[in-house]
Amino acid sequence: MSNYLFIQSQDPFTEVRTEHQFALAGQLFDAGHNVQILLVQNGVIPARQGARSQHLDQLIEWGVPVLADDFSLQQRQISDDDLKDNIAVDSVDSVIDALLDGHKVIWN
Amino acid sequence: MKVLQVIDQAFRTTTEEQDDTILWLTQSMRGAGGNLTVLLSGHGVYYAVQQTPQPALTLASWSQTEPADITRDLNNLIESGVPVYAVTDDLEERGLSTRQFLPGVQAISRQSLVNLYESVDQVWQW
Amino acid sequence: MNDRKTLTFAFMDPPFESERTVTFFRLLDAALEKDTHVRVFAYEGAVALAFAKQSPHGNAVHGRNTEEEAHPLTKDWIVALQQKARTKGLNFEWINCGLCVDERGVNDVIEDCGRGGPPDLWRYASQSFNTLTIGTR
Repeated sequence: MSNYLFIQSQDPFTEVRTEHQFALAGQLFDAGHNVQILLVQNGVIPARQGARSQHLDQLIEWGVPVLADDFSLQQRQISDDDLKDNIAVDSVDSVIDALLDGHKVIWN
Repeated sequence: MKVLQVIDQAFRTTTEEQDDTILWLTQSMRGAGGNLTVLLSGHGVYYAVQQTPQPALTLASWSQTEPADITRDLNNLIESGVPVYAVTDDLEERGLSTRQFLPGVQAISRQSLVNLYESVDQVWQW
Repeated sequence: MNDRKTLTFAFMDPPFESERTVTFFRLLDAALEKDTHVRVFAYEGAVALAFAKQSPHGNAVHGRNTEEEAHPLTKDWIVALQQKARTKGLNFEWINCGLCVDERGVNDVIEDCGRGGPPDLWRYASQSFNTLTIGTR
């Protein structure tokens, strides 16, 4: 079993590739690997309650841990209360932790 | 250390640089002993079905003499022992499923990417 | 202190064009904060991040002169990170892709930013605990 962290900077509203990136994360999770997603930059936009992102919502529903970068949230004035359930506020520190733990860290 | 180079874009700066900069980077690192695999995904799959060099640009009195030759660069990589894969689903999405692959490029489905990602130590997405 | 790990980062974006540049620098700062040695391979436009002739400007729209505007410059961010690394006894190495520097004419770089090529990225990555690449778009 491997550990993956996807840093998701692309968002589904402007980048069609995002849905494939979420799908790959889902496949790896489905195959039994530890998968985590950190939303950064415009990648945090689908994290807001009411934002439409079928693929991200599906990952959350499956139990894939989804984090959102605090600075990116602050820039967009998205507060904790605005976030969808089961999305945790974190920071880019989580990227360094994952790198130092030997995880496969992938920038999208 | 084994690294998967994921090339998800295509034709970005191919004219100015006279190559794809990540294919070039990969060739150069291979020359330095890098253990590398290339995955062409997204628009990058276009590189798997190129048949001729890129067009030469002409601007006013300036003419390009050495346009990019992606096929040559991929051939060099394959001959140097770098496995090159192209995602079939991405080819199909772009209407390229009936085009002939460059010899040596291996087809891989999105479903099989899990195994490819698992076969390497690091994934470098470009 | 021997158990401090080294991380390599490869980056491709120039200053003032992309939000990725800010995230990249935040990552470097976070790595130093976690007592990690840092190695950077700057490729393509990222070689301009260390260009010594970057200069701040005033901003009439903001109604501020040069001093008041205190415009961010990536070369200053690199200097700040170099200083932080020194303070913490960490290595902070930076190599620009030399051919990328030449074609952009940004040869005049700040101190302690070197010149190299793709083999250096492989060397950096091979000798590091882990590597993160951030492509451009």
